Amino acid sequence: MTQPFTPDPSRDAALVAAARHGDRQAFGLLYVNYARMVHGILLARVPPGEVDDLVQDVFLQAMRRLSSLREDAAFGGWLAMIARNRAHDFHRRQPETAKLDEDLAARHPGGAEGAAVLAAIRELPETYRETLTLRLVEGMTGPEIAARTGLTPGSVRVNLHRGMEQLRARLGKGNRP
Amino acid sequence: MNEYLWDGSGQPDPEIQHLENLLATYRSRRPAPVWPEPASALAWFRLPSRWSPLAPVSALAALAVASLMIIRQPALPPSGPSWQVSRVKGSPILGAAALRGTGLLTVGEPLATDSQSQATLNIASVGELRVEPDTRLHVIQSSTTRQYLALDRGTIHAMIWAAPGRFVVQTPSATAVDLGCAYTLRVNPDGAGLIEVTFGWVGFRHGGRESFIPEGALCATRPHIGPGTPYAEDAPPRLRDALAAFDFGNPGLQAGQLRVILAAARRSDALTLWHLLSRTGGAERTAVYDRLAAYLPPPAGVTREGILAGDARMRDLWWNSLGYGNMSWWRIWERNWENPGR
Repeated sequence: MTQPFTPDPSRDAALVAAARHGDRQAFGLLYVNYARMVHGILLARVPPGEVDDLVQDVFLQAMRRLSSLREDAAFGGWLAMIARNRAHDFHRRQPETAKLDEDLAARHPGGAEGAAVLAAIRELPETYRETLTLRLVEGMTGPEIAARTGLTPGSVRVNLHRGMEQLRARLGKGNRP
Repeated sequence: MNEYLWDGSGQPDPEIQHLENLLATYRSRRPAPVWPEPASALAWFRLPSRWSPLAPVSALAALAVASLMIIRQPALPPSGPSWQVSRVKGSPILGAAALRGTGLLTVGEPLATDSQSQATLNIASVGELRVEPDTRLHVIQSSTTRQYLALDRGTIHAMIWAAPGRFVVQTPSATAVDLGCAYTLRVNPDGAGLIEVTFGWVGFRHGGRESFIPEGALCATRPHIGPGTPYAEDAPPRLRDALAAFDFGNPGLQAGQLRVILAAARRSDALTLWHLLSRTGGAERTAVYDRLAAYLPPPAGVTREGILAGDARMRDLWWNSLGYGNMSWWRIWERNWENPGR
């Protein structure tokens, strides 16, 4: 774990309220707190080479729509929904380009083995692939994933457990401890 | 359950550590960008001198009317949503009739305001436009993926929240592509135009000539020429005047105008200098390169030789280091626009 679990719902809600009133620094802090979550959600769905730009796109959308968020404490779940929709929109608009970019990207950033593991994760059912990406790629803990995404800790725990089982099976490591 | 998988506590699991190490290279590493000021995004909604104090009441009334209209209207045409038009003041003309309350602007139908009238256009999933007096526009295309308007003359203020590249305005001398932004676009009776971006950025295009206008910048355009060189809203008057002459004046005097531009350019005019790289050649491009490089050294992957040779990819990389966002947004839009079937 590179970063300890330190989400604070009341602090984030205060940041959301400040950002809604035009506090750019508060929005920047929300970015710092939630960028890994958004990055992980997107990485679970779109080619790695596209993710960084889409992360920025998601936050810009969130900035524009912040006034429509009714419950400040629901910011994480709301932001996660925007990220999932953005990924869906990306594929709807340019499926062929995405595949090409995916093929190219898979050759480079993480080496062949890393690309194979990421590809295996992305073949998992949606719920598992997102949670596993947040845990294994972004380095978020289970409690942090729950706090950020709005999922219950129990759901995250189940997703991690079952997701790892399926990942092991796909990687041919089902007999490893 | 494996506690290391859950929260990183307990005995480290070698298998999971191995996966973490393999995947770490994909982790989010980009630092927080410099965000455009959110308050400015709403600036044009807060113009008290132009908006009636009864605006909230009017908005509610318009919403009520719109709700009734939605209930009574047949299903939207399969081509995409229509713009909801609301009268703000005076008597805007929708099609051939005066608009008394609200209406729908369909493809091909003009909306015109005289010197006493104003209107707003709205699509919930796209954004909102305010149409100023003495303006005429019409919808060229309306689909779920693109809203394409033509502004024949006059002024619109656009606040767009649709995905970048989905809202496009054609003027007699250039086409403005929204890349997530708010802006004011003016078109004179002679077809000349001016765009001022207050949030996000806009791509301005005519033929093969492109300009990218970020928040806080302006760009003029002229018929048969296209968009000029963008400049910061606080650019020195000497630089603005020289740019206008460089872009739209006597081509034989461009070298002299360029010398004035380079002498007046500040670090915060890097936006202008970047555009001039593709609008100059030979010794003039070298001079522009030297000026820009002195303020903002080219990033990795960008060489003097490449820029002087007109390498577009290197120019895009340099743009990305200006702090105005990533050029890939524009390139993705271009790709989709030029290959709509993809």
